[in-house]
Amino acid sequence: MTAQTGPEVNGMKLALAQAGGKAGPFTVNFQSLDDATAQAAGYDPNQCQANARQAATDVKAVLLIGPQNSGCAKVQIPITNQAGLAQVSTANTYVGLTLKNPADAPGEPQIYYPSGKRTYLRIVPNDFYQGSDGAVTMAHDGCTRVAVANDKTPYGAGLATQIQLNKGKLTITGDTPLDPTAPNYRAYAQSLKGQGVNCVYTAFNPPGEVELIKDIHAALPTAKIYGGDGVCTNSVTNPAMHGFPASIAPFFQCTVATQDLPAYPGGRSFLAAYKAKYGGSSPDPYAIYGYEAMKLGLDTIAGLGAKGSDKAAVLAALFATKNRHSVLGTYGFTPTGDTTLKTYGLYKVGPDGNPLFERSVG
Amino acid sequence: MVPPRSSERGILEVKSLIVPPPAAKAVLDTTRRIVGRWGLIVALAALPVYYGIHDLVSGYPGFAHGHATTTHDFSYLGGTLVQGISNGSIWALIAIGYTLVYGIIELINFAHGDVFMMGSFVGAGLAASLGLGLATGPLGLVFGLLLTLIVSMLVCGSLNVLIERVGYRPLRSAPKLAPLITAVGFSFILQNVGLLWLGGAPAGIPDLIHQNATVIQISGVVVRRADVLAVGATVPLVVLLAWFVARTRLGKAMRATAQDPEAARLMGINVDTTISLTFLLGGMLAGAAGLIYALYETTIWYFQGFEAGLIAFTAAVMGGIGNIRGAVLGGLIIGIIQQLSDARIGPQWTPAIVFGYLVVIMVLRPRGLLGEETREAG
Repeated sequence: MTAQTGPEVNGMKLALAQAGGKAGPFTVNFQSLDDATAQAAGYDPNQCQANARQAATDVKAVLLIGPQNSGCAKVQIPITNQAGLAQVSTANTYVGLTLKNPADAPGEPQIYYPSGKRTYLRIVPNDFYQGSDGAVTMAHDGCTRVAVANDKTPYGAGLATQIQLNKGKLTITGDTPLDPTAPNYRAYAQSLKGQGVNCVYTAFNPPGEVELIKDIHAALPTAKIYGGDGVCTNSVTNPAMHGFPASIAPFFQCTVATQDLPAYPGGRSFLAAYKAKYGGSSPDPYAIYGYEAMKLGLDTIAGLGAKGSDKAAVLAALFATKNRHSVLGTYGFTPTGDTTLKTYGLYKVGPDGNPLFERSVG
Repeated sequence: MVPPRSSERGILEVKSLIVPPPAAKAVLDTTRRIVGRWGLIVALAALPVYYGIHDLVSGYPGFAHGHATTTHDFSYLGGTLVQGISNGSIWALIAIGYTLVYGIIELINFAHGDVFMMGSFVGAGLAASLGLGLATGPLGLVFGLLLTLIVSMLVCGSLNVLIERVGYRPLRSAPKLAPLITAVGFSFILQNVGLLWLGGAPAGIPDLIHQNATVIQISGVVVRRADVLAVGATVPLVVLLAWFVARTRLGKAMRATAQDPEAARLMGINVDTTISLTFLLGGMLAGAAGLIYALYETTIWYFQGFEAGLIAFTAAVMGGIGNIRGAVLGGLIIGIIQQLSDARIGPQWTPAIVFGYLVVIMVLRPRGLLGEETREAG
């Protein structure tokens, strides 16, 4: 459970509570499966597999929502796929999970679907859009020479590649894989000086990100630092949550698929309900994705009437989703399981230290 | 003379086949000695010398006023070496804990890296409780940090003694695997304590010492406060420890126990107390390293002890396990190799290069750079 997944699960619980724990004629039992272990310092592929197996062998399970990390999805999808269980992710952005992409691993995405039939969907736009939007944002902000660092995870390496593929007129001085558990990145940051970079893109997850940003800022005090949705969270941006110091805030921006929450249809009521139930000033941007994923599942089950407990019917109905009016906007799914939503939101660090929506990009 | 039995004759014949003639043996020995001594020096000096010559002759790339530049001097290399020494100083402090414990009871104390982690947590927690922050004045900061250092050292020293008393002492005469696996168990326990304490994400802490502020700049080589802190705290602690072990009665008792516990017991030394003292000292140094690390990195997390412990144990082996000076040397060498690799070769290759160096050193000098000081080594 992380700073992002906690609010996301809260969003799911909120949607279920608002529906009275029901979907059509069925009472819905929601079980939260944590894929992180202390030893893995984040998601643990073994735990991911165990969770997927648990869902796949549960005869009453009709939908698996998640996981948060693309690396975890890589090991889960083949398991749920063979069981014919629908899986909807709120946050996986790695392109190769659903689409063939020149930068991804051989055999993708077919290797994730041993049954030959698609069972995985995502309500978040993939990294093709996030990479493109990141590059566009950097060009818009006056970046010319950009260093890219990734944390060697499927998400980090994949996003870094998308930045390169969409670089446009930017000069990418290098894409460096870094150990996310390294004690510091001083030498790497110093080496950027010689590359003349004025911006750095960090395709990271939270472990390592805070130290990386601090070291980059120390070596290049005027450089702008960017990150993807993996680091657009208060555990990175908020000093009170052990994030980087407030002095770095003006130099940091990040992208998340979530747009301005109050501007969403139903966004204000979601925020009010969320704050009433869980407190806090502003939830993590991913909270609304958890909320929408659960609502999508409940609406799909309810829409099937008596067939709502049939996992094959639920799967087919999810893929048939078109023009769904939701708190994320109106969307549907492509045959590959991708959302038709394409826009990312650009966030800066707000006065309270949390990510604050700035504008839409893309 | 009794003729050897058939099997003994066979062995004698084989031996006579592989023993080279005296002249060839002398050449072989000389070659081995030269490779052992100079090969090691060449291996250790290879990276800095190569990059030094490279920077002077070809120059290193820079960027100024929108244009690529090439500079021909030692400042880039010098800066990397300074960072390597300061990083290595922290590894050295942790490595001493490994080497002390291994020297006296021949146990790889896997929990030591996590005791170091607890040092960071205790130090950061106490600093916050004392109200030390960015606005604290220099005097308050010095006294506050000194108090924090003492408390971190005492807490970690006591924790290490407790671990020894509860987990290792009852297993003193058990097979070696028993305390080893107990050490692994304690490592996980401490990690989980850290996880409960500050959660799973790395926690940033206030930059109390303004670690990136320049203290001095010599020929373009910048020495920062973080570097001064790391080296300035490590040197007196190591000197004090070396003096304690070499000059005091308790230090002599430690050395005697390390050489032969039974003989030491017969000479009236309380071996159990001496071993506890060793754990106390190792833990205190880990506590000091933990606080220095927290101030140096300004980010702490429950998993930091794993990687730091691995690096520090490698340093202890590289320098010669059981040898305090060896642990310090090993720590400094690893710190420098890490920084050079990160800056010049690529951070993705750093672990392979560090352990590549370890392999080369072990092949050329199996007992480490300064030699083992253990019972096995004599």
